[in-house]
Amino acid sequence: MEEVGAMTALAVAETKPGRTVIEAIGVSKLFGSSSGPVQALADISFSVGSGEFVTVVGPSGCGKSTLLQILAGLVPASSGTIVLDGQTIDGPRPDKVGVVFQDAWLLPWKTAIENIEFPLALRGVPTAERRARSQALLDLVGLGDSARRYPHELSGGMKQRVAIARGLVQEPSVLLMDEPFAALDEQTRTRMGAELLQIWERSGRTILFITHGLAEAIYLADVVLVMAANPGRIVERIPVTLPRPRTIDMIGSEAFGRLRNHIWHLISDRGPL
Amino acid sequence: MTLARKIAWRLLVTALCLGAWEGAYRLHMLSPIIFGSPSLILKAAATDGVTFLDALRVTLYEILVAISIAWVGGTALGVVAGMLRPLDRIASPFFGAMIAIPFVILYPILIAWLGIGPESKIVFGVLLGMFPIALNTMIGVQSIERGYASMAMAMGASRLQTVTWVMVPLALPAVISGLRLGTSLLIAGVILTEMLAATDGLGFWISYNRSLFNTGQVYLGILLALAVATLANLALGRLERRYGSWRARQQAAS
Repeated sequence: MEEVGAMTALAVAETKPGRTVIEAIGVSKLFGSSSGPVQALADISFSVGSGEFVTVVGPSGCGKSTLLQILAGLVPASSGTIVLDGQTIDGPRPDKVGVVFQDAWLLPWKTAIENIEFPLALRGVPTAERRARSQALLDLVGLGDSARRYPHELSGGMKQRVAIARGLVQEPSVLLMDEPFAALDEQTRTRMGAELLQIWERSGRTILFITHGLAEAIYLADVVLVMAANPGRIVERIPVTLPRPRTIDMIGSEAFGRLRNHIWHLISDRGPL
Repeated sequence: MTLARKIAWRLLVTALCLGAWEGAYRLHMLSPIIFGSPSLILKAAATDGVTFLDALRVTLYEILVAISIAWVGGTALGVVAGMLRPLDRIASPFFGAMIAIPFVILYPILIAWLGIGPESKIVFGVLLGMFPIALNTMIGVQSIERGYASMAMAMGASRLQTVTWVMVPLALPAVISGLRLGTSLLIAGVILTEMLAATDGLGFWISYNRSLFNTGQVYLGILLALAVATLANLALGRLERRYGSWRARQQAAS
């Protein structure tokens, strides 16, 4: 019955089909370097509908993490606009965007539940309320019993679950994830992917997930955005038509293999990874 | 019950030790000039107690002034050196060298500049205490990984909140270790310089009575100085456990 509690505490995001939640219009990013300016991102435009699961895949150095930081409002774009939920982004908007990084960055002196409470505590939400909301999210990510454990007592996968719960606790409409499972071993990564899909279905959030794993990108996504480097740009937007709920077995299917080959050629034909 | 028992045991052991010490002195087994005795210390406290309490006040004054300068100066130096990237390459060997220098060889110069009053003790204490604090603070600040700041900003923390809620707690265990080390050196430095050249203070009276073979007075002064050092160490140890226990737990786990 934990799930029911989690569902009620975490008001399901409005899922009017087709409503655009993320809109990137002509986003570019230039970095200064000793050998002149480097174009990290060039004219990136895409949109994500409410409740969609979009993955961004590309070789290292294609600027996918920079794109996520711009979406999160952590780094300003050199030009272009990001519209989230109808509002232009010019700084962090934790009420609209939750972020999960490659490392969990849990505060080591706080317990699991206190880490989830952290964003609420920053805003001065009363203790009882933030405790209840955080516990509901711990239940949602399957760590209901670990509320009082410290980060060093949690495995890598458990830490990332706590980070996911922390990203969701402010009930953002969008969850941005920057290679969240890259540091985990393969078995854990596969399990976490399956669990993330369940969390996504239960919470009704829109998720933008960055990865360099092709199988992961296809397995999770409604839409895969494929990026290329020098300059960082989107080369193709690929809808994934595999049925849901997804199962691990699908990774071996023919349709899956075709998609993977297609993306593989998109990336590798453009130069070294 | 168990606590009362523990205290009773400790008192008993202490009393036995003191009794044995006093007994050995009474039986002329110990030289009173070298070893003193509990009764000699009591006698000293009765005759020169006021002098030593005044001396304690002078010493505490010097220590407290030196602590406030060394803590503020040391942490400020450490934060600046830790945050400004190119600076730490100079700062780290500099702080290291300042810790390695036996400043006591410079004390005659300090006396020439500042006289034999409290000022020279304060400056000497600061010189000894400040650099371990600065070095530890610098290490603490440098050990903060940037990802924590990005996380905090993404979660909606303001710049000030990022510093106070995330950066300071992350650096605090190392800073407090520095404070503990620096403060114990500082206290030793103040009392040492009082012994070398002064007109008042615990160190001065210990040294003065030693030259007169007033062993009771010497021991009384040593006890008071030990009490100051012990109390400071206990207080800072508490602080370390309060704000640094997470680091110890983390290290024990890894």
